[in-house]
Amino acid sequence: MADSYDGDSEPTTRTLLRRVLDTADTRTPRRRRSARVGYERALSESASNHTDYGSGLSRIQLAHVHTSGNVEEQTPRTLLKNILLTAPESSIMRPESVVKPVPTPQVVQSSRRDSSRGSLELQLPELEPSTTLALGLLAPGRRKQRLRLSVFQQGVDQGLPLSQEPRGNASASSLTSSLNLTFATPLQPQSVQRPGLARRPPTHRAVDVGAFLQDLRDTSLALDTQPFSQPLVGRSPSGYHSLPCLSHTEVEDAERAISHRTQSSGPRLQNHNPGKPAQLLAGKAKKVDAHAVSFPNNSSTISGEDGVEPLQDGVDEEAEERMEETSPELASSTTEFLQARQPQFLEPALPPRTAVLSSEPLEPLPTRLPPRARTPGPRPRQDPHKTGLSHYVKLFSFSAKMPMEKKALEMVEKCLDKYFQHLCDDLEVFAAHAGRKTVKPEDLELLMRRQGLVNDQVSLHVLVERYLPLEYRQLLIPCAFSGNSVFPAQ
Amino acid sequence: MAFSTTVSQRKHIKRKAPRGFLKRVFKRQKPHLRLETRGDLLVHLNCLLFVHRLAEETRMNAFENKCGVIKKEHVQAAAKVILKKSRG
Repeated sequence: MADSYDGDSEPTTRTLLRRVLDTADTRTPRRRRSARVGYERALSESASNHTDYGSGLSRIQLAHVHTSGNVEEQTPRTLLKNILLTAPESSIMRPESVVKPVPTPQVVQSSRRDSSRGSLELQLPELEPSTTLALGLLAPGRRKQRLRLSVFQQGVDQGLPLSQEPRGNASASSLTSSLNLTFATPLQPQSVQRPGLARRPPTHRAVDVGAFLQDLRDTSLALDTQPFSQPLVGRSPSGYHSLPCLSHTEVEDAERAISHRTQSSGPRLQNHNPGKPAQLLAGKAKKVDAHAVSFPNNSSTISGEDGVEPLQDGVDEEAEERMEETSPELASSTTEFLQARQPQFLEPALPPRTAVLSSEPLEPLPTRLPPRARTPGPRPRQDPHKTGLSHYVKLFSFSAKMPMEKKALEMVEKCLDKYFQHLCDDLEVFAAHAGRKTVKPEDLELLMRRQGLVNDQVSLHVLVERYLPLEYRQLLIPCAFSGNSVFPAQ
Repeated sequence: MAFSTTVSQRKHIKRKAPRGFLKRVFKRQKPHLRLETRGDLLVHLNCLLFVHRLAEETRMNAFENKCGVIKKEHVQAAAKVILKKSRG
């Protein structure tokens, strides 16, 4: 590489160079530079010198030239350029400090234009090639922002006051764009242009919930007279839903109950309300007390149903208190009623029952009592033995898959008795052989092995898996669980 | 056949082991011995297998006699064989 100083014959270049070097912040050892770089530098210097800028701009431009030509050189210009790149905002306010990391030919062009135009106009030509560059470099999605840049440029051209910051942004963005960096700054003008889009009105739900709760309370106040708990009690064994669902249905049902007054709404309430939280129940129980006098019939049913449901909920005390407060006579009848109704709850045919029950609470009582009075007679001693055996007899008939005579079934029972005897004898022998008085599973395994059920091919675990249900399998076959534990423990 | 199968299936839904019954039987037979918890289930398994074998043998006997219905004789003959087998 020929030394630029030796190669350059123009005295102007040299003088310019010297001027630049003198004005440079830090002195750097002169290095050999390519002729091309020297020429470009000279041109830029000549162009820049015509302008009225300080030496800073020319320095900066030179720095760019240098960086484009020689990357490894650490000249003051390159340093300055790097600083400006990293902190473009500071340079925004001053048009002179605008840095352009554009490749050399464009820099040359811009520098040429700069010489002809004023300070403001300097920005435009610089920006235009940068935007064209950016279009090529960035993704097509950036079109909108680039358009705004052009708008800003036009505004700048017209000398609008807002051009300062946005222009600075545009310039910075142009810088970044040419370097394939993301467009961070243009987002600000977006928000500035359309403040309405920045935020949306939140929380529609809060209002609804508040109004909803108020409706709840209003309906709960009105619900005390209705046999509201009646269908709840009927549905309590089926399960409990979450509170919002309950409140929804409660509101609806409350409205309907108010309009239709009892039975018609009963089944609907039942269908919708499987259960209730204790709070609402307690509140309603209190309401029941308040209105017990005016509505004795309803209150009896209500207190009855309230009594059943709190019992199932586990709030017995309140219910009992309420029941006591209302009326002792009704309480006795309701307790019987409750007892009578409890088996009914489990039955699926609830809607017709509730209608019947609510209208005629006393009628089911006499029908329920007689079956309770009848108790079964003394059981025969063999009965449990027979019932236990019958289990295996049924299994036998199922396995046979053929119709059987009753005598055959009796024969099977005898066989089973014999079998159990043999079994116990064998187990006793095995346990005694092992010196134990407790029969353990090992004895059972030995028995099965002797019977020929367990071979070397077929193990006990295989049989367990084949014939027993999962719950028993889990108990019999040791399985490893997390935490280095085995169940059942051996 | 269809009727019996449906009836049997309805009965057979419960696959529970009559653990209390088994414990009681053992206690009655051998009061001086004790039976473990898991041994109970294995006894049930043993009974199941016994019943299976017995039913199979009975069916074969009934087929040999070309009867569509299981009779006492079939069961008796089958029981002899199977009890001999499960003597251990």
